[in-house]
Amino acid sequence: METEDSSSENGLLHRKQALYSSLDSCFVIQKEMYRGQQYSQIYFARLHLMRTLLYSLLPNWKPHIQVCTVIGLEEGKECIIVGTLYKHMKLKPSILEEYSKERSATPLVRPHNFMHPDDHLILEDESGRIKVCGDVLLPSVYVTGVVVALHGKETGTGDFWVEDVMEGGLPHQIERPIKSGEDKYVIFVSGLDIGSSTSNPLKFQLLVDHITGHLGDKKEQSIAAKIVRVIIAGNSVEIPRGLLNGQNLGSKDQFTLFEPIKELDIQLTQIAAGIPVDIMPGPNDPANFSLPQQPLHRCLFPSSSAYNTFRSCPNPHLFQLDDVSLLGTSGQNIDDLEKYSDANDKLEFLERTLRWRHVAPTAPNTLGCYPFTDRDPFFVETCPHVYFVGNQEKYETRLIKGAEGQIVRLICIPRFSETGVAVVLNLRNLDCHALSFGTEFS
Amino acid sequence: MATSKSDMKGFFKQKKKSGGITKAKAKSSSTKKSLSPKRSATYGSDITQPAALISHGFPDIENDYDEKEEVLRQFDMNMAYGPCLGMSRLARWERAKSLGMNPPEDIGHLLKAGKVGAECLWEGRV
Repeated sequence: METEDSSSENGLLHRKQALYSSLDSCFVIQKEMYRGQQYSQIYFARLHLMRTLLYSLLPNWKPHIQVCTVIGLEEGKECIIVGTLYKHMKLKPSILEEYSKERSATPLVRPHNFMHPDDHLILEDESGRIKVCGDVLLPSVYVTGVVVALHGKETGTGDFWVEDVMEGGLPHQIERPIKSGEDKYVIFVSGLDIGSSTSNPLKFQLLVDHITGHLGDKKEQSIAAKIVRVIIAGNSVEIPRGLLNGQNLGSKDQFTLFEPIKELDIQLTQIAAGIPVDIMPGPNDPANFSLPQQPLHRCLFPSSSAYNTFRSCPNPHLFQLDDVSLLGTSGQNIDDLEKYSDANDKLEFLERTLRWRHVAPTAPNTLGCYPFTDRDPFFVETCPHVYFVGNQEKYETRLIKGAEGQIVRLICIPRFSETGVAVVLNLRNLDCHALSFGTEFS
Repeated sequence: MATSKSDMKGFFKQKKKSGGITKAKAKSSSTKKSLSPKRSATYGSDITQPAALISHGFPDIENDYDEKEEVLRQFDMNMAYGPCLGMSRLARWERAKSLGMNPPEDIGHLLKAGKVGAECLWEGRV
């Protein structure tokens, strides 16, 4: 173990290390075979998992109220129903509209947020569905795919009047042993967008130089020596898609197409040579479209994948460093929530997904998803200590506390190509700060 | 359903389809044999089919199914184990087991023994 000022006998600084274990087996598609199944199977798995969980929490919430199914509701009788929420949205884009409406009537510019005051929620289980009304369950907060327990009664009009709602809540968290330990830092960066017009190669080179210790004096380098891992959370390249017009590419075009990935590989080799790095795919990366995105293929990184410190990970990514568990995505789940619901900031979306115990509740409704038959991998089993999302507008962070004493650090990682900001997390106390790089002379 | 024949005879005659592709009648659900979709031109129909309407096919034969198939069909229909389409019966049973629903063991033995239909009734037909 290193001393605090990290200078050893011959003046060499040693990098700290942290024990890493990847828990991504549920996100990687290994034995699944697509046999033409529809999404009903994944919704059933989700409903069953959440319903079992909610039933176990009901005795602590409202022990004396009876639970029934939607089809067993009686008018005026107070009861609890558990099911999946469906939000009926007037403005939600539908493929059928292209066929039913005249071409000229549809607006060419789509609103980015599809909410409307007329949106309403419907609760559905295997036996039936019922429209939900009342002020407790706000349609602006919830989205399709969330499983909740509702306490209320059926009204004369056939709707369900909600008196109270219970979500899954934060899952149980494995406690970290309280020891003073030493500072170990993890760097999060996303939205490098190498190959785009907005990305500045100098900024990324500055980041690489800082991480690998080629920048600054002894003090600066000793801080860099405490960085144990780099996580790249999506959108690392921007492929010039204008070249892809359906025709065969000439060799010059092929070269231009691959240029950003080659540049990324060169940079990653510099990082991987000195420090473990995890790279996750994002919405613009050459990976599959539907969640869970599979790890970027090794052939894209011929020189950096030679290092065993280089690790290609799926999106979402769940892993453990020493005794801190970290979970995060490249942003598709939160961006989709932003289109279909409302919140004060992105961290509130993050917190909601954790309280709903589901990383991507809008999948597969509005977010592409693989039709799993036997499980729902986005269900959060244990509470992570750090929950991050990449490719956001700005750096934001908050510490939230749960009812059982869980503590979670929520992090929004900004796009590096636009902001030049990377996020540094201290594993010892879950403190977070921003590391920003600028290239303009003031 | 509109006919998609491209020959003029079919276009002019506008014959109403009878006994061809009909909706499955509830009472005749017991006539099923596990035919592949290519071979079964219709199901659940009482009317004898004109041979001309079956191309590369076999006429539906009344087939007795045994009580093992009946037990498996009840398992397919049981809502507690989720939708039956899109999964093989054994996969659905395994899923029920791993999700803790305690499906009956004898159904598991039946499916693993392998002499019964592996897919549910509507597989490939819906």
